[in-house]
Amino acid sequence: MTPDDLFQLANPLALLGWIILAASPLSPRWAELIAGVAIPLVMAVGYTALILVHWSDATGGYGSLPDVMALFTSPAIALAGWVHYLAFDLFVGAWITRTARAEGIAHLFVLPCLVLTFLFGPVGFLSFFILRTALAKRSIA
Amino acid sequence: MTLSVSSRYLPGEFSALTTMAVILALASVPLLAAMLLDSRQIDGDSIWLKPLKFHAALAIYLVTLAFFARYLPAGLTDGRGWRAYQTIVLGCIAAEVIWIGAAAALGTTSHFNVSSPVWAAVYPLMGLAAVTLTSMSLAMGIAIWRNPATGLAPALQLSIALGLILTFALTVITAGYMSNTTGHYVGTPLTGAKLPVLGWSTEVGELRAPHFLATHALHGVPLVGWLATLILPGTWAIPTVWLAALAYAALVGLAFARSLAGLPLI
Repeated sequence: MTPDDLFQLANPLALLGWIILAASPLSPRWAELIAGVAIPLVMAVGYTALILVHWSDATGGYGSLPDVMALFTSPAIALAGWVHYLAFDLFVGAWITRTARAEGIAHLFVLPCLVLTFLFGPVGFLSFFILRTALAKRSIA
Repeated sequence: MTLSVSSRYLPGEFSALTTMAVILALASVPLLAAMLLDSRQIDGDSIWLKPLKFHAALAIYLVTLAFFARYLPAGLTDGRGWRAYQTIVLGCIAAEVIWIGAAAALGTTSHFNVSSPVWAAVYPLMGLAAVTLTSMSLAMGIAIWRNPATGLAPALQLSIALGLILTFALTVITAGYMSNTTGHYVGTPLTGAKLPVLGWSTEVGELRAPHFLATHALHGVPLVGWLATLILPGTWAIPTVWLAALAYAALVGLAFARSLAGLPLI
């Protein structure tokens, strides 16, 4: 399979995970298991395989910005980087969903954070912490 | 969460040997995925076939040892000395699969690789690790031999002990010889014809074949012992086991001689 084929598989898989998180109030346990564990694990296997196969031939490294940019000139390594985003963003999305549930934060507040995490990872993570702090303060007051 | 629960259960439920076998089996999942993605080949097969074979073989070895461990003298495996030895053995197994997997990732070979000072320095160390991890079958074989309270029929106990001891002795001879040559073939394959799954050459001498048979003594001899205790009267069972052990060693010897003569096993 070429990096392009794998890319075509990885995106719908991630999207499925996000849809499941968005609909998680229907079945929190299954949503957590599929979107928070199973899909990130499948992606972790794919990422590990890509690194095992392609890391030794890749140019660049982690030491400087040009090195990191050089890494991404390899389609396989760029795909691995993309799968890394997809897997960890989804994992964070599942964590947000679980934490909100445990702390009694309404799912309606969670949805925008999930959208932001899906599109811009850390922005959604930050949004959730802001929201969490704001809601916690209100309950104390 | 599900993951933390299952990982907390693993070491408590299984012995360290079984836990390592489970780790090797699970770690073969990304290796299989790598095999699907990778077109690089060595000797006509995917470069990832060898790590996968070693994960499978070592997992089978560990599960077998874990199974026979129940016939060790009571309390032996709880002792500090045995636990330290077991840790060393498991460390050697980890080192072997990391070495073999890393070589595949780097697009090169593990065994027989003396292409650079680093690879040449690691190879003999891995030979030492291989002998160390195989020595556990010898240690268990002797301990089971001496155990007066295995609860087994004498012939079955003898067959397990002999099988374990033979695995060590025959493997050290066959694999030890092979590791001191420049490759596992005796002769130069022309067509590259080989057996399915096992991958042994069907054209020239194949030193992996006697190594395979030698290492499986811990399965073959106890199998005969088990059948003998089921079928034969007690007085016949023990001589049958001795005969089977001798025959097994002779079979390995024949396979070894045939390979050394440059002839394929099959």
